[in-house]
Amino acid sequence: MRLSFFILFFFIVTSSISQTIITGKVIDTKNQPIEGANVYLDGTYDGTITDADGQFSFSTNETGVVSLKISFLSYETFRLTQEVSSLNNLEVKLRDDVNALDTVVISAGTFSAGDNSKVSALKPLDVVTTASALGDYVGALQTLPGTTTVAEDGRLFVRGGDAEETQIFIDGIRVFTPYVPSTNNIPTRGRYSPFLFDGITFSTGGYSAEYGQALSSVLLLNTIEEPEQEKTDIGIMSVGASLGHTEKWKNSSLSLNGAYINLAPYVALFPDRNDWKQPFQGGSGEAVFRKKFNNGMLKFYSAFESSGFELIQEDINYVDGVYYKSNNKNLYVNGSYQGLLSTNWTVFGGLSYTNNNSKMKVMDNDVKDKEHSYHLKMKLKHRFNNRFKLNFGAEYLATNFNEDYNSPFINNVSYGFNNNIASAYSEADVFFSKNLALKAGLRLEYSELFKELTLSPRVSLAYKTSTKSQVSVAYGNFYQNPNNNILKFEQDLNAQETRHYILNYQLNKNGKIFRAEAFYKDYQNLIKYDTEYADFTSNYNNLGSGYATGIDLFWRDNKSIKNLDYWISYSFLDSERDYENYPVQAVPSFVNTHNLSVVTKYWIETWKSQLGLSYGFASGRTYTNPNETGFLNQKTKSYNNLSFNWAYLISQQKILYFSVNNVLGLKNINGYQYADLPDSNGIYASNALRPAADQFFFVGFFWTISEKGTDNQLDNL
Amino acid sequence: MKHFKLLTICLVVLITANLQAQTDYEKGMQKAFDLWGTNPIEASQMFERIAHAEPDNWLPPYYAAETLILDGFTKMDNKEVLEAQLNQAQNFLNDATAISKNNPEIMVLQALLYTVYVASDGATYGMTLSGKIMSLYEQAEALAPNNPRVVLNKADWEMGGARYFGQDTTPFCKDVERALQLFATFKPESKFAPSWGKERAEEILKDCK
Repeated sequence: MRLSFFILFFFIVTSSISQTIITGKVIDTKNQPIEGANVYLDGTYDGTITDADGQFSFSTNETGVVSLKISFLSYETFRLTQEVSSLNNLEVKLRDDVNALDTVVISAGTFSAGDNSKVSALKPLDVVTTASALGDYVGALQTLPGTTTVAEDGRLFVRGGDAEETQIFIDGIRVFTPYVPSTNNIPTRGRYSPFLFDGITFSTGGYSAEYGQALSSVLLLNTIEEPEQEKTDIGIMSVGASLGHTEKWKNSSLSLNGAYINLAPYVALFPDRNDWKQPFQGGSGEAVFRKKFNNGMLKFYSAFESSGFELIQEDINYVDGVYYKSNNKNLYVNGSYQGLLSTNWTVFGGLSYTNNNSKMKVMDNDVKDKEHSYHLKMKLKHRFNNRFKLNFGAEYLATNFNEDYNSPFINNVSYGFNNNIASAYSEADVFFSKNLALKAGLRLEYSELFKELTLSPRVSLAYKTSTKSQVSVAYGNFYQNPNNNILKFEQDLNAQETRHYILNYQLNKNGKIFRAEAFYKDYQNLIKYDTEYADFTSNYNNLGSGYATGIDLFWRDNKSIKNLDYWISYSFLDSERDYENYPVQAVPSFVNTHNLSVVTKYWIETWKSQLGLSYGFASGRTYTNPNETGFLNQKTKSYNNLSFNWAYLISQQKILYFSVNNVLGLKNINGYQYADLPDSNGIYASNALRPAADQFFFVGFFWTISEKGTDNQLDNL
Repeated sequence: MKHFKLLTICLVVLITANLQAQTDYEKGMQKAFDLWGTNPIEASQMFERIAHAEPDNWLPPYYAAETLILDGFTKMDNKEVLEAQLNQAQNFLNDATAISKNNPEIMVLQALLYTVYVASDGATYGMTLSGKIMSLYEQAEALAPNNPRVVLNKADWEMGGARYFGQDTTPFCKDVERALQLFATFKPESKFAPSWGKERAEEILKDCK
């Protein structure tokens, strides 16, 4: 009895260590064997690696139901939970992991800068080390294809669209007044300092249903999530000074940045064509606060700026010139939270508020503008699996605009409007395989002002043609309400509309990128009026229309020549429209048929210097010569600009920076101004509109003080 | 007495079963270390399997990451393979960090992972990751000022930076010397706890002289 018990016991023990053999074969979706896949029973030490034929075989002491796992780089992990004895002669097909690097990317229309983007045409540093950009992120984007050269304006003109058709977002939240006010023939700059952002996505068409109220383009800026270290930045420049400081705590950080710009000393040394009474002067402060939670991130960004100038500009109709004075105060506050609700749900909520106060005096006319705007946005993202994700959200945009006008002839009139828009959108991302992806969305907008509901479908499809190349197509429908300059006089209108059709090819090979994109844009319901300038007496309607079509090419190579990084952009644009005060459909004055940009950066080790050269060419733009028949009947000569910059690292923390815009001093002409009345010979006299100064010099010294001594401000320049 | 005997057998069986589990871990780890020399990817897969069997032990995911990171230094030219491999290593590091928070050894490995990115494409990653790397070493140093790997890798990184900017690297030689002294007295917390780095310190010191 005792013996039988012992034998029984022995059997139980040995049977528990009796072995089962697990065998099978691992193949990919094309039925090719996968070598080196990791095959194991989850939670045990039992496992092996597949051989050259994809075969595996290993033994286990486990009994009952077990979980077999097969994993390998760039494939989705396979899991099978089953009775251990049934795990033999398996044939397992591993699916491609669509999160892998070589997966197709929806790229039609989009340029991304940042580490995280799979295909980035621009790197974050490029925004500030491009010679012609003068430290302005907008200036750097103007070297990308799809933009046109409107040198006297400074804003982004994309694919035959005017500057108002591009919207800018910070952390997904709209910026209502992104540019510093300027006047005729003086280019404006982006308000925000580039070094607070680490991700920039510039879309020149066909963008996601998440973004509305933009006919041509969206520019998405993301603030830095986590600064690397505590530091103080000091900048002394030929045009002013800046001071920045970053403080870090355990889960939060604060960056403060202040700048003061005064062009008076520069204008005194290098007088330009304007008669400055008070050269441009401005002070700005920015703050970014970030706090990390267990499952999310809170960001708070705010910027305040006060600027002003006063000058007399030459004008053919006024012997003494035209007096202009501008003062602007701008506050922008933006807060957002993004976090995980569960493993498959992500939530985002954000709010921005803009308060913009402008006072302008043009000759004897006083104009005061006040704008309050806010943007509230919520979005949710649900990940069903790696291959199917759904985004949806809702937002509310509100603008309250008021203008006071006072002149010797008109006594204090006040007018304005409320432009409130509620919208909702939904968008799905579907990966059919590693080679085929679809993004399809729908956007619904309701304008309270026009009592109008619009529906915009957006679709893009990308297909990988080889390991290095892909083709994408995109279609989208976009609506935008008329801008403040129209709405302040007339509110009985409708949204303007455009449709984008895009075909994109992209080749990405060992540090070389080639992109070609063809597009067609169709404009409808553009605003028209029947006077020279928009005012109260004008009759407005939505009967304008137009088109834009063209090809954009981009090439970037930083591998072929050591220490040399360069890119070349070329855009061909054919666009006509009938809008605003146009009597007929014509090529607008902001359209160049040909645009070329070459940007180079060369690092010279022995000099510890980065030298940059950038060249821009743009064919002539249209203007109306009243001495000839027709509207926009002439073209200016073409535009050329060669710029140079030199960043010298004195030490790891001290940089001397020098740049010259238009090194060759080429005489560019932005257009012509004609007299209102003909002279005694019946000829309308004219005046070429030249930049205020042909060349611009900049010298700066930048010093970073940090405990660790590795950071410098090269990325601030 | 007979009962006692049976009880003894039972106990012995139970204890051996228990010992068996421990040996599995040791055997597995040893096998993975042996594989490392010839096939680091297979070694990483072995560590990955052990990580799933030992969900509360940070060492298997730590080594699963380390094998891939060090192997990454040999794959600089193949960007796609390198990034896939480093992404995988990052996942293992995240697993290790989830098990053992504020661990200076894991911080050093994270800094090394970023260093592979910087070494592979300085223009893209240099500016964004340099600060993070330095900050990780600072944190690790605050937690374990006398850990030889913290002292060594920090000095190694700083020497690389100085070399890049054409500055004198000799001030960091004394840190490496100090690391070497620390290696002599360093006792790993357990059998498989990290103890690597001495050879690298000796190699650097050769260049110092």
